[in-house]
Amino acid sequence: MRFENMTDAIGNTPLVRIDPAVHGLRNIDLYAKMELLNPFGSLKDRAAWNMARPLLTQAVERGDTVVELSSGNTAKALAVIAGMHGLTFKSVTNRMKVAEIKDLLLLLGAEIDELPGQAECLDPTDTDDPLTRMYHRLAGSGDGYLHTDQYFNELNVDAHLNGTGPEIVKDLDGRAPDYFIACVGTAGSSTGVAAALRQHNPDVSVVGLVAHKSDFIPGIRTIDEVHEVGLFDPGVYDTVETITADDAIDGLLTLVRRCGTLAGPTGGGAYQGAVRHLRAIDAQLTERHTAVFIVCDRVESYMSYLRERRPELFGRPPRRNSLRTVTDADVRQAATMDVAEAERWIAERRGLVVDLRSPFAYQALHIDGSINIVDELFAELLHGGLPFGHRQPVLLVCPVGEKSARYAALLTRMGHPDVRSLDGGIIAWRDAGAELVRD
Amino acid sequence: MPLYLSPRIGPTLQSALDETVLMAQLSDALGSPLGVILPQQLTANVAAFRSVFSDHRLSGQIYYAHKANRSSALVRELAATDAGIDVASLAELQHALGAGFVPQRVMATGPKNEEFLWLCARTGVTVSADSVGELAALATLVTDWSLPRVRVMARLSGFTSAGVQFNSRRSRFGVSAAAVSEVLDVIEKRADALDLVGVAFHLDTIGLPEKAVALEGCLGALDECRRRGLRPWSVDIGGGFGVDYLADGAQWEQYTSALTEAVLGRRAPLTWTGHGYGLRAEGAHVRGSLNLYPAHRPVSGPAYLDRLLRTASPEQRRPLGTLLLDNMYDLHVEPGRALLDQCGLVLASVLEVRDEANGDTIVRLDCNARDVSLEEHGVLMDPVVVHRTTPAAPGPVGVYLFGNLCLEADLITRRKVFLPSRPCAGDLLAFVNTAGYLMDFSATQALRQPIGRKVALYRDDGAWRWCLDEQYWPVHHRAEAP
Ligand SMILES: Cc1ncc(COP(=O)(O)O)c(C=O)c1O
Ligand SMILES: Cc1ncc(COP(=O)(O)O)c(C=O)c1O
Repeated sequence: MRFENMTDAIGNTPLVRIDPAVHGLRNIDLYAKMELLNPFGSLKDRAAWNMARPLLTQAVERGDTVVELSSGNTAKALAVIAGMHGLTFKSVTNRMKVAEIKDLLLLLGAEIDELPGQAECLDPTDTDDPLTRMYHRLAGSGDGYLHTDQYFNELNVDAHLNGTGPEIVKDLDGRAPDYFIACVGTAGSSTGVAAALRQHNPDVSVVGLVAHKSDFIPGIRTIDEVHEVGLFDPGVYDTVETITADDAIDGLLTLVRRCGTLAGPTGGGAYQGAVRHLRAIDAQLTERHTAVFIVCDRVESYMSYLRERRPELFGRPPRRNSLRTVTDADVRQAATMDVAEAERWIAERRGLVVDLRSPFAYQALHIDGSINIVDELFAELLHGGLPFGHRQPVLLVCPVGEKSARYAALLTRMGHPDVRSLDGGIIAWRDAGAELVRD
Repeated sequence: MPLYLSPRIGPTLQSALDETVLMAQLSDALGSPLGVILPQQLTANVAAFRSVFSDHRLSGQIYYAHKANRSSALVRELAATDAGIDVASLAELQHALGAGFVPQRVMATGPKNEEFLWLCARTGVTVSADSVGELAALATLVTDWSLPRVRVMARLSGFTSAGVQFNSRRSRFGVSAAAVSEVLDVIEKRADALDLVGVAFHLDTIGLPEKAVALEGCLGALDECRRRGLRPWSVDIGGGFGVDYLADGAQWEQYTSALTEAVLGRRAPLTWTGHGYGLRAEGAHVRGSLNLYPAHRPVSGPAYLDRLLRTASPEQRRPLGTLLLDNMYDLHVEPGRALLDQCGLVLASVLEVRDEANGDTIVRLDCNARDVSLEEHGVLMDPVVVHRTTPAAPGPVGVYLFGNLCLEADLITRRKVFLPSRPCAGDLLAFVNTAGYLMDFSATQALRQPIGRKVALYRDDGAWRWCLDEQYWPVHHRAEAP
């Protein structure tokens, strides 16, 4: 396969059978449309390219900024496409909730604009929601923006009507599946694919999956929000069902651990939602049926999302010399020094003063002659052993003398014979009128 | 199926509500509406904020934002604690001083006229200055009247962030964080009159990321102070910690889903004339966004402060609380609504209950939408029915609550309210947990309708006792019989 551009590699993704031993359906062949194999990482590559392509020549002439309301895959694809054409991309979002995607967008050179949060003191005269205001801003400034408008742009649907859908039919030897299951974000993919499949078989049963109301599944809408989507037409779906974040993660684990498919949460949700929906039908069937669901994107971008919700999946062995192993009894044994004694000790240059506060705070004001190792870094060093010799007396300093006492206890346990903590910390030092300097 | 939005009622408030005979007597004697204040709850609320401070080892002051309620009982009870008070007008300052606050415990915020500034300077309260002009005017007053140096905070706004742009609503108040050097120029020039003790912000948002950006911006401004040799030691992060009004998050979710369906015409309207609270239908789609207070807020009040202090600062990536402590800064907060959580209720008497021909049931109350300003503040929360006698027909009923003004718009709420049992004339509706902004913030004497009286209800000797709000002082222990 030889291409001129990465955009030429968009689409033509494989349709892969899920092992019946995994899903347990006896009369239904379940296939996954592997949209995670698109070049920029997701199903949204298709929509982004289809929406942007016709406008690019003009945009390049005028040097427009590409703008989209997206905190995920559409933003990612558009950022790449904009970059390939020398344009800037700006993503406007309600809340950029997935850290990895935010970082990736910044890496790609995108600008990210966060809309303001809800007012604490309600202003009832303020009827304009931030979204409406953004649309006004884009319209008001007129030129200068290429707004792809994915929630309302029919080209988003067309990308799937002419691409994703027909590919599925072709791979099923010219037949549409009996069931099609997809998560709904902008509704572009489910609407487009459903229309293409129904051209071959008007009886295809289409299941739309949305997030349970109080849940957050990155990339798709909740049951209420879906009504705000311009492309969403309830008539497209035979049923709209909800999935929880837990469902999505359960499905994701099945796909990544058992199916060789490194799917993100919506792929997992689609799998879980599909099996749940089909299980009841499967029991009644007497002939073989076919079902297809979409795996939208990849798991790697969601590590923080997974870690937050399933910390146990990331259990690591405890590290040695961890501060968490210090008991309150250890701390009470730790040697301390009050401010007056510390002033003498420092004046006589009896040892090393380590300030555990943040570099910013240290640089603003500190005890003359102290060195700064912020606590996080100090903790990291200690996992490897003592960062100074046994014969080096040490005085530890922190804000109120609690953290320094814990570290003093830990160092003592690690075998250091002469480590002490400044009693009351640097706040007591300041309050006693002792000298603080800045360089 | 009734769509309840049951209020969250703590044990103290519940025990007051259980005194149904007392409630009815108070309403009969003092009229409707009647504000009932529970001053002692405030002490517990201050303690809950304090414990967040001590968990983070932070020093600093909790300044109650007086604007949230006009009550004297609350201010006097607060004077008996270790908290401070945030006053935003001349009269609020006078009120606080008269209630027993020494000037060291008072912070003056908001827009100020000359009289307000003069009394601040004369008594020595801390002035949170809104603009460079205000600082200059203050310095002039100090010189002209030979007053002692005034402690000032510089209120900042318009913070910017690197990387992701966190947009905030534009604020009327404060000096742009980018122009902090102009403030410091004035402070340095008028060092004889002005003593800079810290920097401040108050953002009208529930968004943590915006506040994190602002707090880190304040740290930057304080660093600029230190570069110039100034030594302010505090950051005031304003108010806006919020209250969780509802007992059950599932009810809130059901209600807002149902409202969306009603706006789309998929179910019978839930509101007077199909009002959508910010949502509207365009074809088969909803547009707009829900313009309501997020009444179900599990992380609110002290827990919200804790969450903010645990949030990593966007640039230095260290928890904000740790950064404050590292820098030896005091943290000041100005909670209004959150400090008044569970501190009061409004009693309104039912004048009439009638069934309309179209099937609607109307409950007409002897109070108006300004007396219980749930609607103006976008708080959706059911009242509690206080029956005089056992209800004849038990079972839920959906009603519209009409006010006592001769005004089409005077509905206590445009929402159809579901009550677990039908009230009748003479019964009371208790709008609970309304002390913060919802009780007297907007009350007016339009149509010469009286503004409701207020009583303080307090526990003493193991029983509930009451007095008029203005009669209340924290020293209510009666002398023991000889
Ligand atoms: C991860 C993920 N899954 C599913 C979808 C849903 O696709 P569509 O927008 O076509 O409904 C999206 C869309 O943004 C997505 O980002
Ligand atoms: C400067 C200032 N501080 C504090 C508050 C209190 O806010 P809240 O009642 O939301 O805590 C306000 C409210 O308007 C304010 O303007």
